[in-house]
Amino acid sequence: MKTLAIVFRKEMREIFRDRRTLIALGLAALATPAVLVVISQVSTKTATQTYTVGYSGDIPTGLDILLTATGLTLEQVADPAAAAKQQVDLGVVFQPAEIDEWYDPTRQSAQIADTRLQTVLGQYNAAKAAAALQQRGIDPGLLNPLPIKAHPLSSPVTAAGNAFLSFFLPYILITMVLTGGLSAALDASAGERERKTLESLLLTPTPRSRILLGKILAVSVISLVSAIAAIGSMLLALTQIPLLGTHVSLSPLAASVMVWLAILLAGCFSSVTLALGTLAKNFRQGQAFSTPLYFITVFPASIILFIPDFNPNLAYYLIPILNAVLVLRDAIVHNSVAWPALGITTASLVATGLICWFAALRLFTRETLLIRS
Amino acid sequence: MSPAAVKVDRLEKTLGKNKVLRGISMEAASGEIFGLLGPNGAGKTTTLRIVCTLLAPDAGSVQVLGFDTMSAPEEVRRRVGVVTADIGVYPRLSARENISYFAELSGVADGELEGRVDAVLNRLDMTSFANQRAESLSSGQKQKVAIARAIVHDPAVLMFDEPTSNLDVLASREIRNFMVESRGRGKCVIFSTHVLHDAERLCDRVTILHEGSVVATGPTAEVRGAHRDLEDAFLELVEKR
Repeated sequence: MKTLAIVFRKEMREIFRDRRTLIALGLAALATPAVLVVISQVSTKTATQTYTVGYSGDIPTGLDILLTATGLTLEQVADPAAAAKQQVDLGVVFQPAEIDEWYDPTRQSAQIADTRLQTVLGQYNAAKAAAALQQRGIDPGLLNPLPIKAHPLSSPVTAAGNAFLSFFLPYILITMVLTGGLSAALDASAGERERKTLESLLLTPTPRSRILLGKILAVSVISLVSAIAAIGSMLLALTQIPLLGTHVSLSPLAASVMVWLAILLAGCFSSVTLALGTLAKNFRQGQAFSTPLYFITVFPASIILFIPDFNPNLAYYLIPILNAVLVLRDAIVHNSVAWPALGITTASLVATGLICWFAALRLFTRETLLIRS
Repeated sequence: MSPAAVKVDRLEKTLGKNKVLRGISMEAASGEIFGLLGPNGAGKTTTLRIVCTLLAPDAGSVQVLGFDTMSAPEEVRRRVGVVTADIGVYPRLSARENISYFAELSGVADGELEGRVDAVLNRLDMTSFANQRAESLSSGQKQKVAIARAIVHDPAVLMFDEPTSNLDVLASREIRNFMVESRGRGKCVIFSTHVLHDAERLCDRVTILHEGSVVATGPTAEVRGAHRDLEDAFLELVEKR
């Protein structure tokens, strides 16, 4: 244990004196709040922004008031179809019996303006129809034979906030655990070879397994610090920055699950990156070897983004990284943990970490390691 | 000659497709500077790497102070210090921290650590830059750090593999003086070099390698024989083969 502590202490000292690592840590802490500020401003701006409707013809009575109240500014134009291409967000021709609408679906502003127009027209048509029925002495409720009374099981605002976190947090967790320790891992492996300290290190009587374990521990700690700095600063920022009209927060249970997963992922990624670094002749080659890792690790997080209701059976929880993403998503969205899923996830990540550690150890003890250097 | 501190017996080693060592035998004793000589590619570095347990032999054996390199590698490493031409130091650690790290890994007890490190810093005249980060040191200063970390655990066997090849005249002379001083302290000093002129001045005994085989071994004067210097002797030995 003593030699393990010696290697760990030395690696930590070197890591914290490495400008690259400190910059990465600083960026990890600042990047997510900055992204949140941008998201918040964009969403606020989108909600309050007014869009322009270029029209021709006579606007039905009262509709202009409804449109203006919904953030649609009316502007008379000669050719609404031509204007909709660039000049305005929507082009509308009011005819006595119908309305023609032109918009470019590739423009987000046009899509939002279209949605607003459809909503306003829906309400306008319903009100007109109800008034016409009432005039004829018919109950307007006829238009809505099956009214729905919704009973949400949780606050829709909270649910929307949790959904946002369930998309965002797994991404942050995985990328920060991986990138936070990558530089340190390559420096502790490929770096030893590049600066020609490896031979001297292997000449000491300390068993190589302990040297490697000390390095893995140090890299795991820095990965963990990086992930916690990023997520901590993000959660802190969320208390100050309103998103989706509310302050989103993480439940204590979800936070605990996230820390546990961060520890497991840190151990796993440290072993993988150290093994890759041991294969590399220098830092740059180590970076090249590690590039595919980004794609491999970010891919599972993307599944949640594209298939939000992906509810697989327990066998899927054997797949490393994907399992962490799924467990974290469930903890955030449902504020509960499926213990069998968490157990399988833990076992899977521990097993992956051990396999990678053995692989790294084998590479670290091969003669070719020295001969190639 | 006193009993062998390092005993190499019929060593063979193949790296990739190259048979690098072809049955090398030699013995180096405590209190002498033993020269391991030969041109580049002769097998000197591979021999030293096997002696210090970094590589395993394909055949043959090596004993260091009675410990076999294959069955007791950690005991061998405790008793060996190696200085190479590649001066690798940890750039973000100070000279003192570099030395302390290797002292701790080599098993120097906590109570002795500071005293040992201070002793080598003084012995190698390093106190003026001991607390400077290694990245800011000159090549000569870095070489001193490399020597200090190799001797801080006070090994009985010191191996120098082309230690002066990247150094200027002054730094090279300091290394040579250090080897002579270590011999005076009773250490077994193995000096591997292709510069036969250096070896002739320093070594008590030499072994000359060529293409993985021993072509001559014995006291330096004996190997030189009637030739003007070791270089002439070596050239004649090689041409004969």
